Amino acid sequence: MSLAIETRDLRYRPGNGFQISNLSMHVPRGALYGFLGPNGAGKTTTIRLLLGLLPAQAGRITVLGQTMPAEHVAVMSRTGYVPERPHVYPTLTVDEALRLHAAYHDRWDGAWAAELLRQFGLVGDRKVGALSKGETGKLMMLLALAQQPELLVLDEPTDGLDPVVRRDVLEALLEYVSTHQATVLISSHLVHELERICDWIAVMDRGAMIAELPMQEFKAGIKRLSVYNAPDQLTDVPFTVLRRTSFNGSGEQWLVRGWTDDMRDFFPAAGSTLREVIDLDLEDGFVELLRSFREVK
Amino acid sequence: MSQRPSQWRVLLETQWTWTRGILLLGSIVAFTVPLVSLETAAGAADAASAKEVAFIGTMQAWSIGYALTAAGIGLLIAIAAWSYDHRLRHVYALSLPIARWRYVLQRYTAGLALLALPTLALLAGAELAAHSAAVPATLHAYPLALTLRFAFATLVAYSIFFGISSATARTAGYVLGVIALIIIAQVVLSSAGSGVNVIGRVSDIVFATPGVLAVFSGRWTLIDV
Repeated sequence: MSLAIETRDLRYRPGNGFQISNLSMHVPRGALYGFLGPNGAGKTTTIRLLLGLLPAQAGRITVLGQTMPAEHVAVMSRTGYVPERPHVYPTLTVDEALRLHAAYHDRWDGAWAAELLRQFGLVGDRKVGALSKGETGKLMMLLALAQQPELLVLDEPTDGLDPVVRRDVLEALLEYVSTHQATVLISSHLVHELERICDWIAVMDRGAMIAELPMQEFKAGIKRLSVYNAPDQLTDVPFTVLRRTSFNGSGEQWLVRGWTDDMRDFFPAAGSTLREVIDLDLEDGFVELLRSFREVK
Repeated sequence: MSQRPSQWRVLLETQWTWTRGILLLGSIVAFTVPLVSLETAAGAADAASAKEVAFIGTMQAWSIGYALTAAGIGLLIAIAAWSYDHRLRHVYALSLPIARWRYVLQRYTAGLALLALPTLALLAGAELAAHSAAVPATLHAYPLALTLRFAFATLVAYSIFFGISSATARTAGYVLGVIALIIIAQVVLSSAGSGVNVIGRVSDIVFATPGVLAVFSGRWTLIDV
């Protein structure tokens, strides 16, 4: 599998108690890679490390086959970035912001930028600082897309946007990805949004990567099981039990990971009964995964 | 939008947007100082018996005006060059596909180009003053020399403050800390009845000893022998 982003044993400690430790990340080329995590998990810091905006204290980062931060210029010429907070100079007009961005990006597509400007309903002579949150979000996405990047790194690009604007922004993104086969790393709190568009998912908490796998595998492998007469001690379990909670006397609910249907045979052999297998959506899986990770820690 | 503009040109445009107010004000002051200095010198000479001495003495008194104007313009243009990058934590600049040193150089030279405006204003003011006022016959006007000195002083002030403001907040803090320490030392010594003039000694070292900062001291005069 060819990777667009790869980190190995990444370490960063800013000195405020938070740290990123031994972070390894693998974003396949062409993937829509959803990056989930609660506030303060370290997603934005990780993204800044990936793009050379912060210096890692240890570890190795490769982006589009090039080493970061040593090859920062080459990488950033192929990468579109939408940061968590607007980063465009607020005193410029929209047209001036476009001109500035165009000057620094060799592959800038002026015609498409003009088309997106019209499509997003942005007015060229308005000051960036006077734009609404939704308009600013659109402008940032426009700048990232019109430079025709191979990789898009989007840090909460739709956070705080209304559903209509969010749909416009995501549609433009998906259209670009489908026509250019670009890789997208998108960090978001909006779990259902990622569930809809991403084919890979990574979950981060407290500076550590706690899951990274294809979306289908993530969704298919996390289940809630209703189990009766389960022994206290489990041996030779073919899946990972993340949580056990009792109900109705002899009944238990198990949150499991790595489940496949052929594992049902485990229960009769263990002297217990499996009554029900409940599918979890991404949000349930995400929440349960975080809970189990925090309990273990 | 079909043709990509040059990087330097768009940076110049952004800095122009941020500094045009300062440049306009600085240019007005730079244009006015030679005219006002000559006007007051002519007035002083009329009332004095030794006209040349009075004329030159009054002109020299305006040296501080030129030095402060040059330093002020250099300071403000340098701070303005980085103010929005600082406010946005340099995220935009750092995410551009350009080496940091090249970006800094582009910002520096764009600011430098803008300093031409107040310098030209001073030249215009000095030329106009030299040709319009009655100067004693034994004295001469040096508008070009004055302008060159002003340009150099502006360049020095701009370069120093550009260097400080392009660095991290911590570096700027160190510089301000040193200045604060000097002031505190002076206050403490003065209140203890000591006659030691710390600020005077430091300014002698910085401005009077041979070096680029010496441009701010000494005689700045449009009219001289």
